[in-house]
Amino acid sequence: MTSAFQTSYSPLPHFPRTCQRPPVRRPSVLFSSSRTCQSPARFMSIRVNAAASTTSDGRALLDGIAEFYDESSGLWEDMWGDHMHHGFYDPDSNVSGSDHRSAQIRMIEESLRLAGISDDPAKRPKTIVDVGCGIGGSSRYLARKYGATCRGITLSPVQAGRANVLAEAEGLADRVSFQVADALKQPFPDGQFDLVWSMESGEHMPDKAKFVNELMRVAAPGGKIIIVTWCHRDLLPSEESLQLWEKKLLNRICNAYYLPEWCSTADYVKLLESLSLQDIKAADWSQHVAPFWPAVIRSALTWKGFTSLLRSGLKAIKGALVMPVMIEGYQKGVIKFAVITCQKPE
Amino acid sequence: MRLLTHNMLSSNIKGVTNGFPLRIEVEKVVEKQVEINHDFLMNIFPKIDWKAFFDASRVMGYVELPEEAPEPSVLESDLEFLRKFHHALLELHLEEGALVCPETGRKFPVNKGIPNMLLHEDEV
Repeated sequence: MTSAFQTSYSPLPHFPRTCQRPPVRRPSVLFSSSRTCQSPARFMSIRVNAAASTTSDGRALLDGIAEFYDESSGLWEDMWGDHMHHGFYDPDSNVSGSDHRSAQIRMIEESLRLAGISDDPAKRPKTIVDVGCGIGGSSRYLARKYGATCRGITLSPVQAGRANVLAEAEGLADRVSFQVADALKQPFPDGQFDLVWSMESGEHMPDKAKFVNELMRVAAPGGKIIIVTWCHRDLLPSEESLQLWEKKLLNRICNAYYLPEWCSTADYVKLLESLSLQDIKAADWSQHVAPFWPAVIRSALTWKGFTSLLRSGLKAIKGALVMPVMIEGYQKGVIKFAVITCQKPE
Repeated sequence: MRLLTHNMLSSNIKGVTNGFPLRIEVEKVVEKQVEINHDFLMNIFPKIDWKAFFDASRVMGYVELPEEAPEPSVLESDLEFLRKFHHALLELHLEEGALVCPETGRKFPVNKGIPNMLLHEDEV
């Protein structure tokens, strides 16, 4: 991977390591006009960005993600518990505070259901990998549910440490362990896991093709892959890319949450198809997550939430300030909450 | 990091054909008791690469394991072996040290029991 790639293609956006200067509105570099969703050129540019991801820009992204979660993970856990993902709600339901945790559990269960994961002791997963595991909420839940072992990987040493402590406290330390590692270069031999789980981590991956490749590599033959992630809307056949206002909206979110370029659900499906994965299913659950961000904002505005946020640091604050943009993105149909599942051939 | 975890980790540096198993360098080993779960041990036993496990246990200072993996039925009949298997697999923790790529010699640090498997830019 040489720096020659960097000069030929748009580099990944630079994520500043510190937030000492106020956020600057810079022209979007995430969505250059040469990238399309429909043509092979886009996947080419995604693969080329893999080279870019090994340069200092890529390193800055990994460091930014790690630092963001190092800083804000404790705050999230205090307010919301150990599941760092959206809840699944019935559309137009009235939700009160206590419903959110069960909604987060329901998100896990609905994802397993879409993928057709069996509860039958003979058929259920015995080895699980949680890619982008946070503080291990999903890992512990799945390990307990299926009596399986689970390995979690995260970029954040703080999260890995906390996840291990929680596993110990819950008596799961023999079966669940957490490591600091890169999802684009998972530290596991091929074909290890009956279930490959990625719950709201895909949006951090700078190279979707590499990400999906690794998910497939570590899946056992016949194993299932579940990806729950934030996507942008599928493009119309006539469109080369998102509209400029849509790109600007997503750019604001990317800067705060250390996200590289977004892709669409259709992009993921194409990637899975290109790897000959089977039984591919995709769903748009945007209507099922609508109550989530307003609830998070409300929790941030409580006295406890607000003071904890101030104590957590600038990255966490920046993340909080961008929450209304997430709501706007969903309301305007730019952001989609996507679930994609598939199976590796036997 | 337990040896159960070590048995599943490999070096994924570019160009490495066989990154498993990682060699262990010990700085600090801690023993933490865990309740024995017979069913779990029976289930996990066939998935363990025994040679890697045996070698690792010796590096961690535990010399009680047999060099050859016994038949799975031994787990049912030999409580002593079960106890040793359980101890080496789950109760020995590498708190500080490193995991070393068998081909390149590159060290992945283990701090506070957590292996850091992130690669440098030139290793990807």
